[in-house]
Amino acid sequence: MDIYLPIAEVSVNAPMIVALGALVGFISGMFGIGGGFLMTPMLVFFGIPPAVAVSTMANHVAASSMSSVIAYGRKRAVDLRMGAVLAAGGVAGAIAGVELFRWLRLLGQADLVVSVSYLLFLSVIGGLMLVESVGAILRRRRGDTAPARRDRRPVWLYGLPLKMRFPRSRLYISVIPPLALGAFVGVLSAIMGVGGGFILVPAMVYILRMPAGMVVGTSLLQIIVTTALTGVLQAGRNQTVDIVLAILLIAGGIVGAQYGARASYRFRAEELRAILALIVLVVGLRMGLGLFLTPEEPFVLMAGANG
Amino acid sequence: MTDLPPPPAQPVATPPAAVGAPAISAALTTTTVQVKSDFRGARIVLYGAVFDTGDQPTDVVVMVRGPEQAVRLTRKQKVAGLWLNSRPVVFHGAPGFYRAASNRPLQDIATFSTLRRLGAGVDHLTINAPAEQRVETRYGVRDVVVSRLGPDYYDWRRAVVRLKEKAGLYHEDQQGVRFVDRGLFRAEIALPTGAPTGEYRADILLFQDGRPVSSRARTLTVEKVGLERALYVWAHDRPWSYGLAAMAFALAAGWAASAVFRRD
Repeated sequence: MDIYLPIAEVSVNAPMIVALGALVGFISGMFGIGGGFLMTPMLVFFGIPPAVAVSTMANHVAASSMSSVIAYGRKRAVDLRMGAVLAAGGVAGAIAGVELFRWLRLLGQADLVVSVSYLLFLSVIGGLMLVESVGAILRRRRGDTAPARRDRRPVWLYGLPLKMRFPRSRLYISVIPPLALGAFVGVLSAIMGVGGGFILVPAMVYILRMPAGMVVGTSLLQIIVTTALTGVLQAGRNQTVDIVLAILLIAGGIVGAQYGARASYRFRAEELRAILALIVLVVGLRMGLGLFLTPEEPFVLMAGANG
Repeated sequence: MTDLPPPPAQPVATPPAAVGAPAISAALTTTTVQVKSDFRGARIVLYGAVFDTGDQPTDVVVMVRGPEQAVRLTRKQKVAGLWLNSRPVVFHGAPGFYRAASNRPLQDIATFSTLRRLGAGVDHLTINAPAEQRVETRYGVRDVVVSRLGPDYYDWRRAVVRLKEKAGLYHEDQQGVRFVDRGLFRAEIALPTGAPTGEYRADILLFQDGRPVSSRARTLTVEKVGLERALYVWAHDRPWSYGLAAMAFALAAGWAASAVFRRD
């Protein structure tokens, strides 16, 4: 059953796109991430123009994050104040990111920046996560106790001005690091077509030192605000959001996310992290491979001849 | 096939010079292609007749051009071990869709210069990159036209044709025109899913002795209809309300899913 996408102007197999949405939704629910980093390259692989894939993803990530954040909210695992600060940074980042993406497309370097960002961020984060989680699994097998976590927070987190209290997370820190983090993730969200959870979650744990229980729910809140804005901006500035594609992806995604969230209880946290690390690493390396292999066709037609 | 459109009311574009002079006529079986949710491309049949009392061999060439679309092309270049995109080059005047069908190879029908003048065949399409030409002063001579592409220009041009052919948008069929009976011919035009929407023009040319002696033009409209058209128009004319609605739907769907699954 093929269906014609009015904005992407290609025809796709509808059940396959719904299944793709469900698969990514399942992974997203299971690991508490948006799943954009996985979905965007796959859509491009299925022949969706990259600009449409990147923009339409924002709608999918917003929908699946919305479906998860409510569950976390019920468990009181969302720090609203921290979420608001991150989101404020995210809003600025998303606006800058959409304009940056527009400019890169005009220069013809959007592909390069997307490939390099994937290669760099996914392989570094995937690699670090893999080392950390495999270490944790091995320690558990050997029956060792985890090394005592250094609880000393970095000095610069406290040395910066504009301190604010975050009672939910039991933090009293400067708002500059969360604002900067939010802005950075907002830019990435516009450029890579991702929610940015894979960067936000480790950064909140290791840099902001937020309690683990608060991290995923709060990051989802930031992701919703950022991707909602990105999606509207991409539609308004670039006219690249395909609502038919979004509906197909969301239909699969929201159901997949709910089952994924349930499946996650069957695995240990470090095993989950190891699987996620492998997925992240493989996607990052695959996306970056194009930079090193000699292309069969040196010329590339670019979408959006009118900018 | 049965519902051939009636002959056009307006006078013939190139009236026969004299009684008995060869003439050509043709009609498309479909003049409007509707792009709906189940659109997977279309095949349009063109029928035509050659009116010729003489015994001279005749050749028929059918050219279909879609609406003009600027093409942006980039070339991957190896820089410090990495394959990076060069600055894109914009080509103007390239049709968004092009198909040339003939009853035998074009180079056997007419000379290079005739084909070039008519724009018949993918090698003779007018594709220019004016943005890559600039006027500057060189060696003290003013107003010299310089092309940044230089001798590479033909590589770029060939690449445009090659990539468009790969996407099914350009095609040259040397046996695309078939004579089904004496004087009666038929050609098929395949529109891929990616064919641009807009007005298409089909030129049907009759050749004798390597010269075009008669021609007809027909138009074809490819348009989005129904919901596809409504969404497309909405997204392009009121992009902000479209974007807000798409996002509101996404958030509502996410919220609804969590509400539904909470009960079980």
